Amino acid sequence: MKLSRHAVVAVVVLAIVAMVLPLSAFARTKIEYFFPTMVEGPLAREMTKIVNEYNKMQDQVKVIAAYTGTYDETKIKAQAAFEAGKPPAVVLMSPFSIFDFVLSDYLEPLNPMIKADGMDPEEFFADFWEAAHPNAIFDGTIVAVPFQMSTPLLYVNCEHLAEVGLSCEKPPATWKELVAAAKKLTKKQGNKVIRWGIMMPSNYDYLGWLLEALTLTNGGRFFNTDYRGEVYYDTPTTKGALQLWYDFVYKHGVMPAGVTEGREVGAAFFAGKASMVMLSTGSLTAVRKNAKFKYNVAFIPRNVRHKAPLGGAFMVIMKGLSPEKKKAAWDFLKWLTNAENLARWSRFTGYFAPRKSSYDLPVMKEFTAAHPDAVVGLDQLRLYGYPILQVYNSIAVRKALEDEMHALLNNKTTVEKAAAEAQKKANQIMAPYNKDHASAP
Amino acid sequence: MNVADRSLRRLTEWRSAKGFRVRTQLKPYLLLLPAFFFLTMFTYYPMVKVLRQSMFTKPHGERAEIFVGAGNYARMFRDMAFQKAMKNNGLYALGTVVPSIVLALALALLLNRSNRFNNFIRSLFFFPTLIPLVAAAGLWWFFFFPGYGLLDYYLAKLGFSETHWLGDSDIALYSLMLLTVWKNAGYYMVFFLAGLQGIPQDVTEAAVIEGANWWQQLRYVTLPLLRPTTAFVLVIAFMQMLSNVDHVIVMTKGGPQNSTNLLLFYIYQNLNEFYDVGKASAATVLNVVILLAVSIVGLRVLERGIHYEI
Repeated sequence: MKLSRHAVVAVVVLAIVAMVLPLSAFARTKIEYFFPTMVEGPLAREMTKIVNEYNKMQDQVKVIAAYTGTYDETKIKAQAAFEAGKPPAVVLMSPFSIFDFVLSDYLEPLNPMIKADGMDPEEFFADFWEAAHPNAIFDGTIVAVPFQMSTPLLYVNCEHLAEVGLSCEKPPATWKELVAAAKKLTKKQGNKVIRWGIMMPSNYDYLGWLLEALTLTNGGRFFNTDYRGEVYYDTPTTKGALQLWYDFVYKHGVMPAGVTEGREVGAAFFAGKASMVMLSTGSLTAVRKNAKFKYNVAFIPRNVRHKAPLGGAFMVIMKGLSPEKKKAAWDFLKWLTNAENLARWSRFTGYFAPRKSSYDLPVMKEFTAAHPDAVVGLDQLRLYGYPILQVYNSIAVRKALEDEMHALLNNKTTVEKAAAEAQKKANQIMAPYNKDHASAP
Repeated sequence: MNVADRSLRRLTEWRSAKGFRVRTQLKPYLLLLPAFFFLTMFTYYPMVKVLRQSMFTKPHGERAEIFVGAGNYARMFRDMAFQKAMKNNGLYALGTVVPSIVLALALALLLNRSNRFNNFIRSLFFFPTLIPLVAAAGLWWFFFFPGYGLLDYYLAKLGFSETHWLGDSDIALYSLMLLTVWKNAGYYMVFFLAGLQGIPQDVTEAAVIEGANWWQQLRYVTLPLLRPTTAFVLVIAFMQMLSNVDHVIVMTKGGPQNSTNLLLFYIYQNLNEFYDVGKASAATVLNVVILLAVSIVGLRVLERGIHYEI
């Protein structure tokens, strides 16, 4: 029997369709995701798990996670990839770089995608802590979604406090109490200090953050959230912050001179060589693990009011993606920043979840009940959170003040001169921005 | 002659109008071509590009470049951080090259005779060379840890108080120098050892017979004959001082207050933190010029050093 020509054609067509159909079903959109951490390490492992989960959960998008080192390295890599025409789709980014990326026109505005989902952008963002908004929204355009949040905290060694007759239930809440406590807690052997009353990290980055915290609690603010070409360094409030820090070292002798790194401060606290320290809430997990004594945490003490700058990182989508990739990136970002995932990440890392609704989940309720120290930081964020310095060329502007503070910590300048010099340098750095916006109202 | 050679010859040989056989020297160029290709791609092209970039500025937040000629250089020379970085780099180069070479020479003289004990000590001193600079910086970070770091721990036993090795703007650069000397002395020692082995025995013996004491031998025989080695080590040492930056990034980020800022870190900082491509490119051009100058001067000295006369 001979097959008719039609039958042959039909069989061939069917065969082709049978071969191509599953292929097209598996043609997933591949997107790259830059996550700032080292290749090996608990954070990278947990993030790999999360990404794998997403890749298994659906069959439209395949996310390829790249572990890109520090925030700075990640920024450099994202920038290089963009300039080479192959931007990563989603990047976890420090707030310092976000505004600079906005200025360079690297970031995809999220409003249209939120609207395409039938949501109102404002409504979408209402679930995130208000203090984080100015770091992610520029002229009403959302360009970043908060992923992990932190604030600075005061950590105290309860045994030391008890030793000098201070209550650990009520750690110093004002600058005055802080100075008095630090004086009492400092222990000397002859001329040699064997225990410091207070230590604060003064390496780049940490220093700027803590100076902002002290300026805020002194009733001032660091920068103009409505206009990113203005910082307030040469002001009584910032000078007050510089003075407090300077006095700790050179007036009261309760803090070591020179620049002290965050790791040194942590180690000194664990070793009982520093009775009080200011560190990020991100250190909570390490303190819980390493402190072999009773400790307590408190808000950053106030001179005028409580307030604390938010640290942390945000997810962004880069420009220059194909429409499919853009859609895929948005889908992944939305999933990654849903209440459950943010809660999971928070419990794993010790960072705060940026979504309010994360804390309504039973797992988070359980967690906060078990860790009252985390609640202190959360309260500070909820009640007194404030955006972190984010202006034109944030890092250079921040360093302008940090360099002067370093000179101050080495007793090479005065508070007056340091503030004036930092202001002058910062203004110079921001001059191009201010020239461009001079005509703006 | 194999086939490839024959076909190459066919390519490079032809008869001129008058019937003479003309042969071009194409073969060496063909052999150089792959290396030349990669050098162009990864060395010369970037150099030209950075030279061009150093004459343009792209204000942060704008896409268009503006030609500024020497403007970036003028801005760079006026920059306090740059002046500090240059001064630091000079001090750093002198303060590391001289001690590490003296130390390397001393070690080489002490360990010149090859025996089991000396070989062991040699490898001990060579060991730091094997550690990448980043790792060495991470290691020394703990040595420098104020209060309980290795240095302070032992100094405290001698009655010294805590030192802020990396946090004190007067000390930080010297701390980095200490690390660099530790890291490099063993490396230079190896060159000196090789140099010493190359000194002819008869010259030394003649000196001994003439009644030269140890110092005279060193002064009039060993050191002059080591001159080519010394010149070579000097050149690579100065190059290293201009091309190493890992420890600055790991340990101090140029602080406190730019006291450990070196030229290379200055470039990194301007490019990646301050978004100032123009200034970073200008500093890069300067860095390349200095490196070229060092290597040209060094090679001259080297060549002269080889034609010594006793």
